Amino acid sequence: MVKRSAASALSGTSAGKTLRNIVKGPIVGLLAIILFFAAVTPGFFSFGNFINIFNQIAIWGVLALGMTFVISTGGVDLSVGCVLGLASMVMGYAAEYLGLPFPLAMLLGTLVGPVAGLINGLLVSKVKLPPFIATLSMFYVARGLANIITDGDQILNYPAWFIGLNYTRYLGFITVSGIVFLLLVGSSQFFLTKTGAGRNLLAVGGSEEVARLSGINVDRHLILAYVISGTFAAIAGIMIASRVNASEPAQGTTYELYAIAIAVIGGTSLSGGEGSIIGTLIGAFIIGILNNGLNLNGISPFIQTILVGVIIVFAVGLDMFSRTRGGSRPQHAA
Amino acid sequence: MKTIGKIFTVMAVMLVIMSGSMFAQGEKEDGTLTIGLAVPNLQADFFSQIKDSVVAQAAAEGTELIIVDAKNDGATQVNQVQDLITRKIDGLIYIPAGATAASVPVQLAKSADIPVICVDRFPPDMRGDTFIASDSVESARILGEWVIEQTGGVGRVAVIHGQMGTTPQVDRTKGWETAMATAPGMVTVAENSADWDQAKAFTVAQDMLQKDPTISVFFGQCDTMALGAARAVELANLDHDVLVVGFDGDVAALKELKNGVFDATCTQQTQLMGKLAYESVKKAIAGESLPQDQLQLATLTTIENVEGFIANHP
Amino acid sequence: MKKRIQTFLMKYSSSGKGSLYALILMVVFLIATTPSFVSMNNFLNIIDQITINGIMAIGVTLVIITGGIDLSVGSVLAFSMMTFGVLTKDASLPYVLSITIGILAGTACGLVNGLLVTKAKIPPFIATLSMLSIARGLANIVSGNTQRYDFAFWFSDLSGKRYFNLFSITTTLLLVLTILFALYMKYREGGKRIYAIGFNPEVARLAGVKVERVTTMVYVISGTLAGLAGIVLNSQLSSSQPYAAVGYELNVIAAVVIGGASLSGGIGTIGGTFIGALIIGVLRNGLNLNGVNVFMQQVLIGVVIAITVGIDMLRSRK
Repeated sequence: MVKRSAASALSGTSAGKTLRNIVKGPIVGLLAIILFFAAVTPGFFSFGNFINIFNQIAIWGVLALGMTFVISTGGVDLSVGCVLGLASMVMGYAAEYLGLPFPLAMLLGTLVGPVAGLINGLLVSKVKLPPFIATLSMFYVARGLANIITDGDQILNYPAWFIGLNYTRYLGFITVSGIVFLLLVGSSQFFLTKTGAGRNLLAVGGSEEVARLSGINVDRHLILAYVISGTFAAIAGIMIASRVNASEPAQGTTYELYAIAIAVIGGTSLSGGEGSIIGTLIGAFIIGILNNGLNLNGISPFIQTILVGVIIVFAVGLDMFSRTRGGSRPQHAA
Repeated sequence: MKTIGKIFTVMAVMLVIMSGSMFAQGEKEDGTLTIGLAVPNLQADFFSQIKDSVVAQAAAEGTELIIVDAKNDGATQVNQVQDLITRKIDGLIYIPAGATAASVPVQLAKSADIPVICVDRFPPDMRGDTFIASDSVESARILGEWVIEQTGGVGRVAVIHGQMGTTPQVDRTKGWETAMATAPGMVTVAENSADWDQAKAFTVAQDMLQKDPTISVFFGQCDTMALGAARAVELANLDHDVLVVGFDGDVAALKELKNGVFDATCTQQTQLMGKLAYESVKKAIAGESLPQDQLQLATLTTIENVEGFIANHP
Repeated sequence: MKKRIQTFLMKYSSSGKGSLYALILMVVFLIATTPSFVSMNNFLNIIDQITINGIMAIGVTLVIITGGIDLSVGSVLAFSMMTFGVLTKDASLPYVLSITIGILAGTACGLVNGLLVTKAKIPPFIATLSMLSIARGLANIVSGNTQRYDFAFWFSDLSGKRYFNLFSITTTLLLVLTILFALYMKYREGGKRIYAIGFNPEVARLAGVKVERVTTMVYVISGTLAGLAGIVLNSQLSSSQPYAAVGYELNVIAAVVIGGASLSGGIGTIGGTFIGALIIGVLRNGLNLNGVNVFMQQVLIGVVIAITVGIDMLRSRK
């Protein structure tokens, strides 16, 4: 009773609409999962476990953030997993084989991202390759290059401080990689919703023609989206090297599919024009909590594979259901 | 305004959850041991067999066993080990995923005072309490010697590698090449990788034979790849015999070996390794000391002795 | 309304020619540089090697033409394969029955995909991504995560024995299916309906097309063909493996898009897809014959994909 009248009182305001939208969308899925696991799992409801989950989702979360930008423009970036691996390998090679100072190696590794993203962006905007194909090409090229760098060998033994970026918990709970993740979330949210460039990205995703006619430089914005995605993927590559204390060419295999799934669970539409950073964050938590809960319950790995698939469908289904109920845009066949 | 509203809601939810966490704590039962088993990839017969062995041991003693499958991904395995530690396991059997072992899971477990048994691969910079594996180098060398014996020291050799850079690939190549070096009549005419995959090995072998139909020996670094190569040989209708050898001693492969589909393999003692791993982790939990390495030979298996291995997989 | 669809169809049915030129270029290059490439046996090998990909790609072409996508084909293949394997070896069912049920396992997965997309309105990417996980898990569970082997000789001969030194039964199957579906898409009403949905589902609905039913149908076809591919792979390897076909879906989709299909829907041909599959097959074969380092192969495949589709894009920008 109280809820409803509060809702109707607020519904006129934009804050109220926002609250209703959030409550209806992916957060419903998230809350459902949390409550379910809390009820059945020993050890789930603990501060330590939640910090673990936060750190566990950081890498996929960063990938999904970058992916959100690309999907908002109506495209997709299949290369993020391979760019992650390439960045990790480049950093490792620069540090261990070339003997460069470590921070410089990290920078070089990170630079792999915008370079790959630029190529993707050019292929999509100038050569007019479908994003699927352009980024699929980069998928193969990046993976191949990652292997070629050391002829398939892995690179080990990173400096203790580097590993500490992922594991040393300041104030008892926050790691440097956690801070990086939060900063990326914050800046992405700000960029997408508050800046002209961000809004233009969404406009391009809504309809390239209309955006072009409104005077938006479509090509430049497309390139921007892929550069962001590539850069985030490279950052994730540095993070993974720190987390696992190793670089190997196969790192990031299949990560792109889950980055896409997280973004879509979070409410970003594959048709483009809509993108929610907070939604992506929630999607990342859903996947992270799901994996954590299944592990803590000791569920057999094969059942886990099936459950993850089922729950992804369920979460997205909930989202679709709440949208059409709310009377938003009719669904395209795709 | 909108953004703040969203962020506020998310934070509020998290705060509620975290405050709830103060009141809920998991309690562990006394008496039963809980062991964690971290496997790289249950799709691979080798790991699946070790897992089956450990499962059988644990079931016989009523020990709780939690299995996590990393799907060949290092970062996933770190997450899984973290979760196992949260679950308060007493001991960890760790089969590292990825090209070589990451030390992080061992470090995490040690920080939580949980003993770690490394199987098949180990992180050079952070060994566990013991290391159990097949001596792939020596076994592959013995295999190579057998091949040299069979061919009279003369042959045109094609090698189908596993995923480049992985420990088994590196070790088996090393052992094989050591053997080949002793016989100048054995010439390596083709090498390629099929990533441990049978269908890929079939295509690779087919193309190798297309390029050089005089190949007389195929070494597939795992049984499934050897089977793929054997099939390519069969379909190529060559005018000479080709010796096809593998490695692992997969249950399915042993039966095919008996049927004469291929010629030899090295049977890894997966059942024994699983048993050793289980016993070692129990000892470690009890505070007993363990040898640094417990290496087993993968036994050369040919059609002559395969029956025994089929009846009782070591 | 119908006229608009017709003009659209006429305009775009000649897409994919760019891939044909690319294929010809590649073949000419290989003939000039690689002696072992030029042989009937090698050519037949290539067709053999693309059989699995080719069969799956037919179904995925239809799905992509409707504007959807099917990421689950690799896992569905494995699930069908294991179902067939378990029924044949464990339950000792006659082959005809176990093959049928195995294929039907694929059909069932396709049906679930189709319903998720049409009824639950899940985006095809997500629906089939989930099926990718689910079918793989089922393949593991059904088989207890172990292989099945020791199949009848006549069964492995289906893919192994070449009649008149030309085609095996499974290769013939690929060619027959390709021709049948190509004809269906070009000349039958059903084919035109599929294109219409991809072009614009709303317009199609108004023109009387039962959009939901046809859309579900294409996923069912895709699943069924993936199931069939599972039986074929089983024959090729003479074993059923729960981990078969991991990652195959990207190759399949690449073949379809290289062949000229558009991921937005409405454009694409079975013939084009076949050429796309050939391009990938010829490329890998050429690289293998030349002993190219397996890592460099990956890089080259990526580059060739970009160039092939790029040529087609630049051509059609008139």
